Amino acid sequence: MSAEEHREERDKEDKERRRIKSGAAMRDLMTKYYMEAKAAEGTDRHIAWITSGGPVEPLIAFGVIPVYPENHGAMCGAAHMNVELCEVAESRGFSRDLCSYARGDIGSAITRGGPIGGLPRPTFLVCCNNICNTVFKWYEELSRFFDVPLFIFDTPFVRGDLPSHHLDYARRQMEEYISFLERITGREYDEARFVEVAAKSLYASGLWAEVLACNQHRPAPMTCFDAFILMAPIVTLRGTQEVVDFYQGLLKEMRERVEQGIGILPSEKYRLLWDNIPVWYEMRNLGRLFMELEACLVADTYTSAWTFQEVETEDPLEAMAAIYTEVYLNINLERMADKIESLARRFEVDGMVMHSNRSCKPYSLGQYDLAKEFTRRTGKPALIIEADHTDSRWYNRAEVEGRIRDFVENLLAESVTA
Amino acid sequence: MDMRTVAGECLEMWRNPYPHLARLRDEGERPVAFFCSYTPEEILHAAGLTPVRLMGAVRTITHADAHLQAYCCSLARTDLDMALAGELDFLEGAVFAQTCDTMMRLSDIWRRNTSFPFHGDLVLPIRMGEEISLPFLVEEVRRFRKQVEDYLGQRIWDDALEESIHVYNRNRRLADRLYRMRREKPGVLDGLMATACLVAGFWMRREKHNELLHQIMEDAEAGEAGDTERLPLLVSGSVCATPDLYELLAELDAEVVDDDLCCGHRYFDAYVDESISPEEAIARRLWQRVNCPAKHQCLEDRAERLLRQVGDSGARGVVFFLQSFCEPHLFDIPYLRNRLQEELGVPSLVLESELQSFSRGQLRTRLQAFLETIRGV
Repeated sequence: MSAEEHREERDKEDKERRRIKSGAAMRDLMTKYYMEAKAAEGTDRHIAWITSGGPVEPLIAFGVIPVYPENHGAMCGAAHMNVELCEVAESRGFSRDLCSYARGDIGSAITRGGPIGGLPRPTFLVCCNNICNTVFKWYEELSRFFDVPLFIFDTPFVRGDLPSHHLDYARRQMEEYISFLERITGREYDEARFVEVAAKSLYASGLWAEVLACNQHRPAPMTCFDAFILMAPIVTLRGTQEVVDFYQGLLKEMRERVEQGIGILPSEKYRLLWDNIPVWYEMRNLGRLFMELEACLVADTYTSAWTFQEVETEDPLEAMAAIYTEVYLNINLERMADKIESLARRFEVDGMVMHSNRSCKPYSLGQYDLAKEFTRRTGKPALIIEADHTDSRWYNRAEVEGRIRDFVENLLAESVTA
Repeated sequence: MDMRTVAGECLEMWRNPYPHLARLRDEGERPVAFFCSYTPEEILHAAGLTPVRLMGAVRTITHADAHLQAYCCSLARTDLDMALAGELDFLEGAVFAQTCDTMMRLSDIWRRNTSFPFHGDLVLPIRMGEEISLPFLVEEVRRFRKQVEDYLGQRIWDDALEESIHVYNRNRRLADRLYRMRREKPGVLDGLMATACLVAGFWMRREKHNELLHQIMEDAEAGEAGDTERLPLLVSGSVCATPDLYELLAELDAEVVDDDLCCGHRYFDAYVDESISPEEAIARRLWQRVNCPAKHQCLEDRAERLLRQVGDSGARGVVFFLQSFCEPHLFDIPYLRNRLQEELGVPSLVLESELQSFSRGQLRTRLQAFLETIRGV
């Protein structure tokens, strides 16, 4: 074996050592889930389309299959197939300025296009506006398109602490949600079953939080780009045993990596925080770029949105109502800044990269102020890049990559002067 | 002053309300800005404050770009720009009623970067008109009243609030008469002037606007109805920051016979019940009035109402006049257009407006082409 072949062999081994093994288990889990959901179409199983931030636990408790158009949208984006789906919706009069998840989903509903031939037809819809107010307009359209019932779980925006009348409103809607499910499925509400599902959901979200926390270690065992992929089960199927099992396995792997000092990058020079939804169609290129720059995205505001805080209450419906109302995108800028600051300190980051996302106003408007606040509080720089989560027509690769390079090079200059 | 002179002054104010607004303070008023027709103006009015509406302005953005991305509507961007440029220093504060995601975030951005003494927030449910959301909305109205009281350091008495409700209800009745008169007495006061008279009310104390509308109505009702050959149209959207659209339509021999705008018909829809507690009554009105597209359609489908309005007014076409990037409105467009076309055979045109790059010429060309299609030229 020549020296070069030897080096290649070593690189390969090293790469294999750094590869996250649980990725395969996740792919199996998600493939099985999608196959089951698709197979259920046309049977007497109920299929509900639900928004990513919506309370899925009642659906699981009632034996309904939850389907997430946003998760599907991310998949279509990563497969570079969302633009053509968006164009279908645009040809029907939907503006290019609307969220590309929504446009792509409407296009996919019409054509059954995308990597898995479209999502199974819903028997009803559940929409929760804790992530944005685009979702209920989108779901109104889906409700008209499929001619199926729509349940809206309306979570009023929280400025400061959660006021009691907000909680009362959300609590009443949880009850209404349960009645709605009883009516649709013809089954009775079983509180013991609901509590069991809710407990699993909280447990899995706790495991997920621990997985993410492993990145506090240097070198970080994964990047947030891995987390974007590995979050699919917690978003889609929390409340099931499979998800608990999967995150237990993932946590074990991450802890082993930490113990053995296995980082995801060959060398980790900088640690960065990511803000906003990923640029799904650009994950591979951006991942490569950050790796080349020896910058590891160790934490982000997106995946940690599914790490619910436990709420102390005797009443499981009220606990769920509180959890779902106080999510990251449904709070004011000061509370968001607190969260960003806390992530920055816990993960000891050198800076923050913010994705100003055309498709997501609640996530993006206010970022300029948050960036300034971040620097004021932590003394670290922030970079804002312009993109769209799945519509690549708005993306200028050369410009974004150039800005990221400059940003990281400046970090080097700063660490030299420091 | 006769009707035409008064309406002319209103039109001038619509063209540029800001010099007038800047004088309000010298006249002893305490102006507080609002942006959205869901704002419970009665509470501010009863507190001795003067609610004035900001609807953006045609201008180049210089300051707001540091806080708001370009993919956010020009109402938010130009209003914030004026505030940051110090052009709104006559304000005592602003109230943010939460309708869309942009307004939700603008509130924080505004509060963090300006130093007006008062900042009010009103969180609204999206499920308007459904029993489940009413107690929440009543509580929000109560909380908003308390917010104003805390700022003033004194109570807003129920009788003052009842009086303000009465003043605003009268204003709604007068506005309704003004709008009906367009149809009943064509040629007396056209769509441009009628809308100007309504919109001017956003920038004055409601009692004064009532006097103004009263005088207009008296003159108009004494006038003789004439025949009009103008092509009847309905305008739908959020706000018309300037009278340009209406002026262009008039120039092109079209007549706006009704609208579905939040600076028009949606603003004065429904009354506050004067026989129940004021907070509950104010909440009930917001809850049952015609929905903004940023609210979930439940009590009455928005399309049903629009179709009925088009039918009743005899409009032969609908112009959707929208702010670019306005998701709530943009989402409804394909559905509304289809139903108009399929059920009434009424064609529609979608125009998007960006105040920072406003082009009257472009607007004119598109309107002209649309009107020619309807006329079959």
